Amino acid sequence: MAHNIKILPGATVCEDCTLEGDITIGGGTVIHPRVTIIAEGGPIIIAEYCIIEEYSTIIHKKSDKQEDPPKPLFIGAHNVFEVGCRLESPCGHVGESNVFECKCFVGVNVKIGSGCVIGAACHLSAPQTLVDNTVVWGSEHHVREALEKQPSQLLQLDFLSKVMPNYHRLRKPNIHKRQPSSRQSLDSSPKP
Amino acid sequence: MIPQVDSHYCANCLENMPSSEARLKKNRCSSCFDCPSCFHTLSTRATLAQPRPAPEAGGGDAKVENKQPKKMYYLSCFNCRWTSRDVGIPDQPVASGGWPERSAPHAARVSQLLEHYRAVAQQEKQDKLERERKKFAIRGKYITLTDKTGLTGAVARSIAGLGDAGAGAALAGFAPAVPKEDVEGLPEDAFTKEVNLKQITSMPQRLASPEWQPVSVSRLHPLAKLLSVKRSQRCRACDHNLTKPEYNPGSIKFKIELLAYYHVPEVKIISCEMIKPGAKSTLLLKLANPTGHEMALQLLPAAPPPPPPHGETEAATEDKDDSIEKSLDKSLKLDKEPRWPHVEPPAILTRVTPPAVTLTLAPRDDAAEYDDDARHEPSHIILWRKSNKLALRLELTTDPAAVEGSPARTALTVEYSYRNTVPQSITASQNRDHTLYTTVYLDLGTVGSAGL
Ligand SMILES: [Zn+2]
Ligand SMILES: [Zn+2]
Ligand SMILES: [Zn+2]
Repeated sequence: MAHNIKILPGATVCEDCTLEGDITIGGGTVIHPRVTIIAEGGPIIIAEYCIIEEYSTIIHKKSDKQEDPPKPLFIGAHNVFEVGCRLESPCGHVGESNVFECKCFVGVNVKIGSGCVIGAACHLSAPQTLVDNTVVWGSEHHVREALEKQPSQLLQLDFLSKVMPNYHRLRKPNIHKRQPSSRQSLDSSPKP
Repeated sequence: MIPQVDSHYCANCLENMPSSEARLKKNRCSSCFDCPSCFHTLSTRATLAQPRPAPEAGGGDAKVENKQPKKMYYLSCFNCRWTSRDVGIPDQPVASGGWPERSAPHAARVSQLLEHYRAVAQQEKQDKLERERKKFAIRGKYITLTDKTGLTGAVARSIAGLGDAGAGAALAGFAPAVPKEDVEGLPEDAFTKEVNLKQITSMPQRLASPEWQPVSVSRLHPLAKLLSVKRSQRCRACDHNLTKPEYNPGSIKFKIELLAYYHVPEVKIISCEMIKPGAKSTLLLKLANPTGHEMALQLLPAAPPPPPPHGETEAATEDKDDSIEKSLDKSLKLDKEPRWPHVEPPAILTRVTPPAVTLTLAPRDDAAEYDDDARHEPSHIILWRKSNKLALRLELTTDPAAVEGSPARTALTVEYSYRNTVPQSITASQNRDHTLYTTVYLDLGTVGSAGL
């Protein structure tokens, strides 16, 4: 598998994690050690300000009816993947401000909107769509609807991005400006 | 055993309160709340709120002055992420208390009913008193002291006409509920409208707040946390306190703790060979002496205990490896619980061949925990001995009729000596040493196949 890891400036990605395939990590996102992200069925794009905690796994699964070129798995901004959670998806789109609590499992045919919470140890494997602000919790998978989106973890992100470099080896951002216009200007400008 | 309520406390903030206050507060804590959605304890969360700029929007300087962020608090559930904002409860400027209280729709009626029944009860009491007095008056021709002086409170009140008037007024002013024939019909779309389960509360959610029984989730309100109680246990026969916890809710210690765990030898399974029908297998057991005295032990085949010499009987079942026997300590002169549910002993197909030796267990010594030189004994029964513990090797014989896959159980009776350390002033002459019997049932997994 060709590895093509793109880390945007401002992202904090620990060296001690498994990243395979075509992965883009947005600015401000923090990836803890021991995280596994495998893009075997197509690229994975992680947007800005996500937190991916230890032992969580995100897999873009290969599927038989795959399109060519494969569709990317897009994970929106401000998502939190807590310790030990697992997201398997063949393709598609995960919204913004979702919380995947500890040890939860989200299977292949689950579509997730925005502001959803998948509770600790909840196991979603049946094909379903979680509309915005759905909260799944408890061993009996109770479902309720939150009134507002989950509060953002900006303070925590800020803290992590300051503290992580002190204790972990980090992968360096390898992509510079994202805006095509600014990239062009960078390219055209003479190197000092 | 009779459980008794010792004290009321809140499990969250550990506040202690006397039972009268608890009753007044409907057995709920005034500062802690439970999630109305999942019944987990709610946590108070703080946010920095920017005060809204004044609507008239003065000059720029006023805005700068107003920018001081203010701490605001709301309640949030970590389990299901319910927040007090979900139902539109405004954030509070103080961390605890001050949450808006809802008045129950039927509060007036409930208090009216309460008042009424109180009046009824008083009336009945009064009537009874009156009857008794009449009976008394007929029977005896002496003027009683109470009649003469009106000393008892109820009589005094009746003389003053207070009780009668009060109760009478309450009874008179009471409007009983009126049954009515026609109830409002269901709305037109009751059967056609699609139900959104996320908007409707579940039965447990409704029943958790009986005063309101909200139908829609938007009406859920934080539930004041129910108080817990500290419980003491008392013997049903002799009123002895068996356990009594410390009053302080933060403490898990007991003031009185008379558990069999401290008196009955502990039996634990170390390992056991597979039980096969018609075969012999080896069972390793560990015995421990929890008392501070030397203990003589003998293992006997499981049988009803021999007739006790001084009216002492001891029969307790002990599960696999826990020692929480339900036995009461006979040496404390407790009579056998007469209404004890009689549990049929499980069918025993595996028999222990008990060794015909008396084992001696050293007293418990906390200091001995630290040296761990297990002494091996040149005996085919005792594997090792270590302070107050010893390991035993026992032989099991299984009946050929045992069915493969059925639970393998065995039983044996432990005869042990027990020295009563509780001073008994009345029965001082009595023997302090007793021989007690406990039948232990051991669960040894399932019966394996004979061929293996
Ligand atoms: Zn409390
Ligand atoms: Zn909750
Ligand atoms: Zn008793």
